[in-house]
Amino acid sequence: MNDNNTEVAIDEPEVYEFTRNGSSTVSFSGQTARILMAEELISTMMDFDGATESLLLQMYRNRDASGGNADPFSNPELNSETKSIKEKVAASEDYFSSNASESVQIRNEFESWISGQVSEVFPNENTLASPGQAGQIADGTSVRYVNAQGLEYNQMVTKSLIGALMTDQMLNNYLSSSVLDAGTNREDNDNEVLVDGTSYTTMEHKWDEAYGYLFGAASNQADPLTELGSADSFLDKYLGRVENDDDFAGIAEEIFNAFKRGRAAIVAGAYDVRDEQAEIIRQRISEIIGIRAVFYLESAKTILEGNSPDYGAIFHDLSEAYGFIYSLQFTRVPGSDEPYFTGSEVQSFLDRMLGDGPNGLWDLTPETLDALSDDIAAPFNFSIEEAAG
Amino acid sequence: MKRYSILTLLIFSTAVLMHGCTDDGPLGPDPDDFDRSAILTNWADNLIVPAYQNFVADAEALESAAADFSANPAADELLALRNAFETAYLSFQKVSMYEIGPAMQVGAQGINLRNYLNSYPSDTAQIVENVSLNDINLDLPSQLDAQGFPALDYLLYGAAGSEAEILALYSEGADAPLYRSYLQTLSARIAGLAGNVLNAWETGYRDEFTDNSGNGANASIDMMVNDYIFYYEKWLRAGKVGIPAGVFSGTPLPTHVEALYHGSFSRQLALEALSAVQDFFNGNHVNGTGSGESLNSYLDYLDSRRDGSQLSVLINSQFESARSELESLQQNFADQVENDNIRMLNAYDELQKNVVFMKVDMLQALNISVDYVDADGD
Repeated sequence: MNDNNTEVAIDEPEVYEFTRNGSSTVSFSGQTARILMAEELISTMMDFDGATESLLLQMYRNRDASGGNADPFSNPELNSETKSIKEKVAASEDYFSSNASESVQIRNEFESWISGQVSEVFPNENTLASPGQAGQIADGTSVRYVNAQGLEYNQMVTKSLIGALMTDQMLNNYLSSSVLDAGTNREDNDNEVLVDGTSYTTMEHKWDEAYGYLFGAASNQADPLTELGSADSFLDKYLGRVENDDDFAGIAEEIFNAFKRGRAAIVAGAYDVRDEQAEIIRQRISEIIGIRAVFYLESAKTILEGNSPDYGAIFHDLSEAYGFIYSLQFTRVPGSDEPYFTGSEVQSFLDRMLGDGPNGLWDLTPETLDALSDDIAAPFNFSIEEAAG
Repeated sequence: MKRYSILTLLIFSTAVLMHGCTDDGPLGPDPDDFDRSAILTNWADNLIVPAYQNFVADAEALESAAADFSANPAADELLALRNAFETAYLSFQKVSMYEIGPAMQVGAQGINLRNYLNSYPSDTAQIVENVSLNDINLDLPSQLDAQGFPALDYLLYGAAGSEAEILALYSEGADAPLYRSYLQTLSARIAGLAGNVLNAWETGYRDEFTDNSGNGANASIDMMVNDYIFYYEKWLRAGKVGIPAGVFSGTPLPTHVEALYHGSFSRQLALEALSAVQDFFNGNHVNGTGSGESLNSYLDYLDSRRDGSQLSVLINSQFESARSELESLQQNFADQVENDNIRMLNAYDELQKNVVFMKVDMLQALNISVDYVDADGD
């Protein structure tokens, strides 16, 4: 085998199905499990009557407070898992293997949001939110529950996991040559040396694990675009949202095809083709996060500038924006080892978002929202108008 | 699913807009030359304020009937209360589109009169809990679906299996006084909130509204027309017809009809709402048979046309098409969507056509921008 793709025939299937000797070689059950764990965590964050801080933190860690075994999930299969959400938050090889302090800080930030939901929002379940006061606020006929700054912790956790868990693991871990080509992976893949007890090579499996963070919860995992957007609350959902914006129609198929082609390239040993597909995925997945960050900022701005602005709707949009902005630090500029924005740049965006006055989102001005949209859209290949939908 | 429909609508709207431009005749009069204050005066004095006056009177009659029933929870009093409920609920359909000024300031930030009075489906578990607690802050956003007409609909028609059992609920057992009390609380709250809005119109907002006769996003006419189309699109077309028909969810939702527990009232409410929006369009006075300056006369002044036809005629004719579709439906929309949802979808389609005429063609002719956005909904 060699690296020159023009001489290697790549046998690309119609759907994400790969077999060896009649058995499927595709496996990503751990990614599916973490998506399901995250789903249960975020829905339990809104269970005002049933949830406790310790239960929510156990869902995040899949451990009790002293590190022992815990069974926090209603789904027994998740309880039997040795995996957890937390262990894969800010845990990619490329970004965090030698950056333990930042990784720990990010993991703990999720815990502080989870705790804040219980300590700040839960006690104010039946209080009207106001500047500086946590409580409930109407968003049309929906009810949102916000902290004293107007932020919804459940939205922050959900949207930030898209970056810190799914995107970071996908773009900066499993699609990285540092992981795909680690150890003897190339040699083993070329010689079809299989992982013990399985039908796949290590490299095949790593690539599938990246795929699993996007489509692991799909009802049809091999052909997930048929029901795009309905499988989870994370990347699948927002790929669906972006796909449904005319300006970005086709992005879902592009990403799916890149996954499929890259996987087929691994089977064929065409590693340059594989890496080209990884870069496509990096760019497009990063764009989803950038587009949605700008989308929610602009949506909030439009409402804020209207007559009698609906603050509940604004805060809901901005809480989603907060999470997508947080997720920007886990994106990846194609052809580089860098995110579109570093952790400290992201922090400065968030500080600006909450910095127009002492009460955070209650004081936010349309001018600040515009400036944030400008700065966030700048390095991407989309315009604010396109992202605004 | 919601995004698909909005997207489809946008594509359709854009196509209509582009098509309309090429078919337009020579440029007519400038929209800004029209005497906008004449429209505002007609709206305020002959439509909005009289409609609120009628509604407040009907809501006070409802409050009074609830008090009578509480004093004597017997069959005759229940019948009188149910009749008062129907009258007030119909009367509400004539003010529900006027979410401007005081109606947007009745409650906590972001909550308007309509949300307090007509959020459905109601949360029956919350209603039952509220009955037992006997002390609840109905200003809270989480209480929107435990009050207003939908909650009364449940308490008067759905809280027990038969009329006799409903009477027993209010007359027998330890909870009966609590049920009677909650009925009174809810009725009084409807009358109180509506009274506050009317009072604000009568003590200053009427002049503020009619004086603000310029053009631009914050002018009364721009705001009112936006609120009107928003109401038509979201509360009439979607809320009363589209959502129960499953237009946004993919499957019919019979439990999402207006007046679910009454059982034969949803069609009448929808027709009343449709008449109210058509009367508003034509400037028809709420009391009597007079009419005055209106969107209809404004469009005619501008000689607004679409494919050669007068836009005002097209819109009125489309209201009539929607009305005849609605009239062909069963009285109970829950039965309708369960038995023959196609007819419900047909009614939705006819209502939708006027969204395009009004939101695209009319707004363009009047040089008014849409000031609302579709929420994400998650």
